Amino acid sequence: MSKLLRPWRDHSFQLLALALAIAAFALSAVIFLRAELEQRFSVSTAEALGGDLVLAGSRTPEPQQLAKIASLRVSQIIDFSSVLVHNDALLLVSARAVDANYPLFGQIQLANDRFADEYSQNKGPAPGRVWVADQVIDRLNIAVGATLTVGSKALEISAIIRQLPDQNAGFYSMNPRIVLNSVDLAATGVMGPGTRIRQQSVVAGEPEAIQQLALNLDTSLRPDQKLETVADAALRSLGPLRQLSLWANLAVLLISLLCGAAIYLATAQRVRRRAKLAGLLRSFGASRYQVIAQLLGWEFLAILPAVTVGSALGIALINLTLGTGGSLPGPSMISASALEWSSALFAPLLLWLAFALPRLSALVRVPAIEILRQRQQSSVLGTNIELLAALSAPVLLAGLLTASLGELGRVLGLIAALGVLLPALLWPLIKSLDLASARLPLAARLAIRRLSRRPALTLPLLVSLTLAITVLTLAGQTGSQLLADWRTRLPSQAPNHFVLNLFGQDMPALEQWLEQHEAIAQPLYPVVRGRLSTINGVPVKEAVTKEKKSAQRHLNRDLVLTEASTLPSSNRINSGRWHGADLRASALEQPAQLSGNTALQRVSVEQEIADRLGLQLGDQLQFVTSRGLLSATITSLREVDWNSFEPNFYFIFASGELAAQDVTWITSFWLPEGDGARLAELLSELPHITLLDVKSLLDKAQGIIAQASQASALLGALLMFSALLVLAAGLLGGQQQRGRDNALLRALGGKQFLIKRILWIEFLCLSGSAALGATAISLLALYPLNERLFQQGLSLSAWQALPLALACIVTICGLLASRKALQQPALSLLRSNED
Amino acid sequence: MNSSPMPAAPPPPSAQRASPLLEVSAIAKHVQGPEGELTLLKDINFTLSGAESLAITGPSGSGKTTLLGLLAGLDTPSRGEIRLDGKTFSSLSEDQRASARGATCAFVFQEFHLVADMNVLENVMLPLELAGREKPAASAKDWLERVGLSHRMRHFPSTLSGGEQQRVALARAFAVQPRLLFADEPTGSLDHANGKRIIDLLFELNQHSAAALVLVTHDPQLASRCQHHLELHEGTIINSSFADAKAVTASPVEKAIPHE
Repeated sequence: MSKLLRPWRDHSFQLLALALAIAAFALSAVIFLRAELEQRFSVSTAEALGGDLVLAGSRTPEPQQLAKIASLRVSQIIDFSSVLVHNDALLLVSARAVDANYPLFGQIQLANDRFADEYSQNKGPAPGRVWVADQVIDRLNIAVGATLTVGSKALEISAIIRQLPDQNAGFYSMNPRIVLNSVDLAATGVMGPGTRIRQQSVVAGEPEAIQQLALNLDTSLRPDQKLETVADAALRSLGPLRQLSLWANLAVLLISLLCGAAIYLATAQRVRRRAKLAGLLRSFGASRYQVIAQLLGWEFLAILPAVTVGSALGIALINLTLGTGGSLPGPSMISASALEWSSALFAPLLLWLAFALPRLSALVRVPAIEILRQRQQSSVLGTNIELLAALSAPVLLAGLLTASLGELGRVLGLIAALGVLLPALLWPLIKSLDLASARLPLAARLAIRRLSRRPALTLPLLVSLTLAITVLTLAGQTGSQLLADWRTRLPSQAPNHFVLNLFGQDMPALEQWLEQHEAIAQPLYPVVRGRLSTINGVPVKEAVTKEKKSAQRHLNRDLVLTEASTLPSSNRINSGRWHGADLRASALEQPAQLSGNTALQRVSVEQEIADRLGLQLGDQLQFVTSRGLLSATITSLREVDWNSFEPNFYFIFASGELAAQDVTWITSFWLPEGDGARLAELLSELPHITLLDVKSLLDKAQGIIAQASQASALLGALLMFSALLVLAAGLLGGQQQRGRDNALLRALGGKQFLIKRILWIEFLCLSGSAALGATAISLLALYPLNERLFQQGLSLSAWQALPLALACIVTICGLLASRKALQQPALSLLRSNED
Repeated sequence: MNSSPMPAAPPPPSAQRASPLLEVSAIAKHVQGPEGELTLLKDINFTLSGAESLAITGPSGSGKTTLLGLLAGLDTPSRGEIRLDGKTFSSLSEDQRASARGATCAFVFQEFHLVADMNVLENVMLPLELAGREKPAASAKDWLERVGLSHRMRHFPSTLSGGEQQRVALARAFAVQPRLLFADEPTGSLDHANGKRIIDLLFELNQHSAAALVLVTHDPQLASRCQHHLELHEGTIINSSFADAKAVTASPVEKAIPHE
């Protein structure tokens, strides 16, 4: 036991243990946070998808496919279009027939009245019952309890649908939705041969089983079938979740790097202290193995408590923040896999081994006499190869932990390369300062010499300080930018209602109503319904290849066309040019040759539908509308954030190009909390409009943003914590040497004022150089970060001044940390040979 | 009071002693240990004039280094008074003591204590610069020449042998032309031959500079080359050549000192 406690008496070991404990804390916290986020957002994605895996097709899956999925939890869903009949009124609807297992994930939000409060339910309607969307109630002017007919089956309305868990915010079909029990499907008689349906087999299971199933099914897919899993769900392609996932990976990587740097600095002190023991052991004839065992064995056991305590605290932090004690909804206790538990414990130990081993092995490699004479200090304390090994260890560790090194490779490569290259560039600067220092005052000369003539101490500290300041700057800037980005994306007054089917003459009434209820409206978009008929003059059924049959559902229904002069804020041009710009000179602008009686227009197409239909820039499309044919050339392809709660469209024409069409209007607005009577008032005044309440969807999306924001802030805090650890390790690490220097100066007659000035200048030069490097790195890192995280300009801001501010703080902290060194009595110089 | 059976060496010029440079009056040093107050030194009295030399001897733990630290103003006594050149040294502030030390004293340490990241010339220049002397480089070169190291001025301490490092330390000490030189076991880290060369050099330089010398040593031969001798045992003077030094009955240690 006393052997275990012995290292703790040494100040350098205490520093190393503290660095390891904090590293374990930060690493375990970030590992658990990331695992928790992955799990929660994977659940969110699965909810949005309906299950962990969805096999969709235009008819029932093959028997062998059904056999493959039978061992897992499965829900069968059939989507089809139908006509509702109530008294003499007819209404075209999007119907969904669900079985007893629906929904596999999440809750269905229902209401008993048009404007009543919603409640949750976790199973579909009972046989003989039907749930309908608000619009059905509005259009048919009926209430819950009424009976309506689907095909030849009469069904009783038992609830109004507010939100289905797998209903996303994209508006593809504007037909109102109904849900019925699949037991009633046969009795409706609507499922005859040739009926267009979308059959979904939704499966839930463990990730490994789902992965295996996806592989099995992939080989047996029919042309009409499509397989989608949580892993490749489109929901993650853009938006806060993807950003957060990248941000979490980046944080894991940087925290590993920073903790590694802190351990490196702390190990340097410890190795210095152990050098004498190594020299003595070797002079006594101990073998290399014995020396390593003596140096590493007990040390390893002694650091275990520090690592364990650090890891436990990190895990406790995440449990308290995201678990029971936290403000976020979620499981009461973080559930982590064995991999996460072992990563949390072993990651800091791996870092320690990576840093301690090369340095301790140097004690075995260098001749004992050199160690005892304290010569070849740089050989003992680290070579360039060891520095590189030390830098690559946390990088590899981060790669293993995140399994996404490739994705962040550029950012990491930049930081690592510059972390090594910049000191290599700054070093000649410091050396040239040394040469020029002959004319400087004594204090400056002595300070510069301390830095320039101790490369083994100065270089690692310079690299670490540069990295720490860079990370602090980037964490601050990126974190705040992410939060701002998300706030912009879903502001507190994001639209919670959509209005469709507005006519020109409805505008005054709508505007008056909006004003009266302090609602905030988005721009109005004209809507024209049209069906895609030809692509480059070839009828779509021939133009779309057999492999693209999954796109059939886009072809056999009315599509929503609109026009706009400015690109909606939630859209981004992937290729081509937005038609707001003057395209008259563009090569894409070819005269229409397809149908002589139509003028050629310009249209911007959403990227995903373009991919499904095999559309490219310059392709010529022809739509059939109520006014005849409408032709257009594709001038741009757009990526759309469907989660933005703004009206979004697959096809946007140039402004004015739909003027000759039959147009209705669509808009969205934010309505403050209040009772449903206000909406009833609007509907009674404009009975033909369609009013969609997306409050539930919005709440869900805002909940995700809130979670992402909290997680992002926590990641930022952990990053800053790790960076501060590096600073502390760097500043505390050199105290012994500074103490000796100061004691000697005092013995030779140096005054306290001079010694303080030397320290000031030393820290200013050190942190100033690091700030210079950090500014350069963070400016260069803006480009890949910008590209990966934000997809748009990450502009220069006041954050760029942070390195300089940090340099001042580091200097002050350095001086505060050096108080003990300042007070070291000159008598200590005599005590080394105390009688 | 017993007088020391000191060897021949230069006789104490008590009759013609110049004005006192270092006056030590009844100093004592106590520290707080785990088992209460511990007395490191008590009742130390003596006066040293310019150009005189004093050897402080005694077994390990007798308080030699503690006394040297107090004399040089690196530490302050718990009781009593030390006057350096007429000024009460022990009542000065840390900075004032450093200033007085820089102007009057120099050190030679057992472990050399050269600044590892300064070359030989810069090491010798350091105290001159601290004292604000004119043309420190010229003076430092001159002293390096005197210790025979002018050819290694640009070398760093780690490339020098122990003897060479101590020669640099001697040059650094004498370069400021001190009136009082403290040497703490100057040969403790050297072999016999090198140690002898260093001591010869130390006394030779001291003779030319006419500085007073306070030398802590275990080596009786070395002690015998000084004019005065104080022998300590458990913090108390047990043998002294000073008339005013307080000494107790000679201990067996004292009797064991060989005489040459």
